[in-house]
Amino acid sequence: MRRLGDIVVDEALLEDARAGREPAQRALYETLAPATASLIRRLVGHRALAEDIFQDTMMIFFERLPEFRREAPLGAWLRRIAVTRCLMYLRSPWQRARLCLEPVDCGVAAEVAALITPGYTGELIDLERALATLTPTARAVVWMYEVEGYSHEEIAHEFGRSVSFSKSQLARAHQRLHNWFMSAEQRPTCSVI
Amino acid sequence: MQRDLEQPAALTHLLRELPDAAVPPYGWYEFKHRAAQHAVVRPARSATRALAALTVMAVLIVAVDLRVDPPTQQARWPQPVPRAALATREPSAVRGATTAAPGAGVAFSAARTEMLERWLASLPDNPALVQVGPRAAVTGLEDRLAQVDDLLTAERFEQARPAHLLALQQERRLLVSSLAQVRYAEELVDESR
Repeated sequence: MRRLGDIVVDEALLEDARAGREPAQRALYETLAPATASLIRRLVGHRALAEDIFQDTMMIFFERLPEFRREAPLGAWLRRIAVTRCLMYLRSPWQRARLCLEPVDCGVAAEVAALITPGYTGELIDLERALATLTPTARAVVWMYEVEGYSHEEIAHEFGRSVSFSKSQLARAHQRLHNWFMSAEQRPTCSVI
Repeated sequence: MQRDLEQPAALTHLLRELPDAAVPPYGWYEFKHRAAQHAVVRPARSATRALAALTVMAVLIVAVDLRVDPPTQQARWPQPVPRAALATREPSAVRGATTAAPGAGVAFSAARTEMLERWLASLPDNPALVQVGPRAAVTGLEDRLAQVDDLLTAERFEQARPAHLLALQQERRLLVSSLAQVRYAEELVDESR
């Protein structure tokens, strides 16, 4: 997995893109978009919505690119925009209401199909299915902590919650994932795939 | 997979091993196309939001206005028991009196007085049980009303001092209103027994 925060962009390309040259912007898009889309899809879990947030994120990215001050790598800066947009969605009352209405613990959740990356097989699909059983908040915490390398303090700050919120979400998600794999043999075959 | 997750760092490793999507959800030109559409939709959305905000503000102002206005009227009416229980017995004249605007014209005031008088006339002369306090107030008001009626008859006959006549009429209206309020309170107390 190529983390968005680790992507390094050529300085000349960045300067051209900041100057508004379309070929450079296109190259930048092609470099950053796959990891950005993956990150958003992991955090949000809903393909159509992830596309909307991806579009928003990339638009904000190009709008603010001239203001980029190189205080952090470009990928980390874009990751910050993407995570903020995703958490705005996860914190919204509409989303919370939707979550209340949807079953959380369904082995073959409707979102699984959307979450599974095309081309995955075997263990990877299992892992994707396991992730899909988590609530969006728990999944976001797991992803931010385990993959993107956020600290509990940073996650708490991003969610506007306490550090113990992040820790408890992570612990419960770990337990849930562990249980998922422990009971793998008793589960029916996934018909979505 | 089962064994992997039992190790503390196994989940991190597995998640980081998940490959990115090879391509972004859509290409650069589609992104540009969608961005252009957003640019068109955005002003319309902000106009709609502004309109919605204005509507909400207008509704709030009206609601606050309605909330602030009635207490000055309702404060005149003693409410010892829930009025909803007696709503069927409450004469429409009295209900009209409680919600009447304070700045209503003389014609409205006269009509209201007339309706209150009719209602008072429809009440039995003496309630089954008499409490000295309210009864003394009723008797006092009735006496004063009779006295004002005499003075009014004399003034109408002489037609010498129109200003005095108006003052007497005004006093009579207030007396009728006060009497109606006391009798209404008396009724409520009777009902609550």
